[in-house]
Amino acid sequence: MFFRPKIHVEDFEAAALPHLADLYRSACMLIRDSSEAEDLVQEVYLEAWKSFHRYEPGTNCRAWLFKILFHRLHHLRRRLIKASRVDALASPGEEDNLMAEPPVPQDIRDEDILLALEKVPGEFRETVLMADVEEFSYKEIADTLEIPLGTVMSRLSRGRKLLRAKLAEVARSYGIKPREKGTGQGESA
Amino acid sequence: MNVHNFDSKQCERVRRQLDAYLSNELLVETTSEVLRHLETCEACSHELDSRMRLRKALRKAAGERVPPEHLREAISRRLRSTQPGFFGEFRATPWAVALAGLILAVLAAQQGFRLQRARQLVSSVLTIGVSDHIQCAIKGHNYPEIATPPDQLRKKLGPEYAGLLPIVQQKLPGFQVLEAHICQVPGSSRNYVHFITRGQGTILSVILTRREGESLPAGRFLVARAPGGVDLYKAHLEGMNVAGFESNEYFGFVVSDLGPGEMVRIAAGLAPALRDALNKGTGSEKAAIPVFLIDFVSTGFNRSIQREKTFNFD
Repeated sequence: MFFRPKIHVEDFEAAALPHLADLYRSACMLIRDSSEAEDLVQEVYLEAWKSFHRYEPGTNCRAWLFKILFHRLHHLRRRLIKASRVDALASPGEEDNLMAEPPVPQDIRDEDILLALEKVPGEFRETVLMADVEEFSYKEIADTLEIPLGTVMSRLSRGRKLLRAKLAEVARSYGIKPREKGTGQGESA
Repeated sequence: MNVHNFDSKQCERVRRQLDAYLSNELLVETTSEVLRHLETCEACSHELDSRMRLRKALRKAAGERVPPEHLREAISRRLRSTQPGFFGEFRATPWAVALAGLILAVLAAQQGFRLQRARQLVSSVLTIGVSDHIQCAIKGHNYPEIATPPDQLRKKLGPEYAGLLPIVQQKLPGFQVLEAHICQVPGSSRNYVHFITRGQGTILSVILTRREGESLPAGRFLVARAPGGVDLYKAHLEGMNVAGFESNEYFGFVVSDLGPGEMVRIAAGLAPALRDALNKGTGSEKAAIPVFLIDFVSTGFNRSIQREKTFNFD
């Protein structure tokens, strides 16, 4: 009643390692450098192992691991901001120009959308990733990122628009003219 | 060219809901409403297509990122070289944590209660010496300016306590015994042996009184250990400094307005000899005899107060 069975590392691995691919994928999308992503994922697993006694069996292990991932990522991001190495947020003017939704090309290359995603500010990028790639629910995202549900919705909306705008920029820089069946705003072919 | 009525309120509302629709977060009723609109509005349907295409492309690009083989091995290796948290490998349930917390709280409360009682006991005993000193020596001023001759002091002390006089004289270097007598506490049957001495510019009392079954607590209230294994205690009461000791049947106190360190030093020199003499005259030496020191910070009393007539002298 008072003590649970002894923890075995095999039990932890059975619960946590199936989510390695998801964590690594998100880590790569969030920090781009693959070796740093590997380090980050290793740290996430070590921290999860150390606090496995607090994990309630039967609850969402994947969401728990992602929560640790974002804790570490935010910590890392704060350190970088302090060191003035990154610009964490887009300028407000940039966000304000999102009312117009540019067309989305028919054929999108992996490298183009990854490049576009890299240009999306971190807090929007991580929300879009959580929803569109990892398919977490709004509530799970709110719990994981420790933000209100309304903030999840607004970040997701803005994040998707930002991604779309950045993708259009990337396409323009390559001289690619978007091919669409219809146009974006107000009229169609 | 088909021109869509893009600015319609219904289009605006549907487009605001497209994000939630994409994430499957809409209520069933709202979803039906959106679907009905999409069936009839090509522009919004096209917009949904764009958003879905963007999401699909993002998911595909992300899916290309697969963890290298060595990462899983590295994690397993590091996990096995790291201990899990919280007492090694035990996993306490919330019940266990709550029970442990309750037990600790009860133990802490018990210990706190015992300490408080012990502290109160020390204070109550040491107060005896403080009170006697203040009433007889300070307020009562029951001592002459010129020392009473030793033979008269021995007579006042009587055969039972006369033998203590040379000990006090010898073990209090720098102090002159002005007065020695047996006092009775007003309104009480309790008597005490009182030596009033003068030295270092102040009045110092040595007071001995029967314990009547009381005893001081051992342990953390000890402040020093005098030669011969006599334990010394001290306390702060009524703004004064006092020192006291315990023999088999007596409490002993050394009281003055000297500093606490000096009081401990004086008591340490006096207590062992007094304890031995009291034990020889009153019983065995088997029991330990702590010495208590009470510190009085200042006299603050008017020494010109008239003698208390309620004090009886032998």
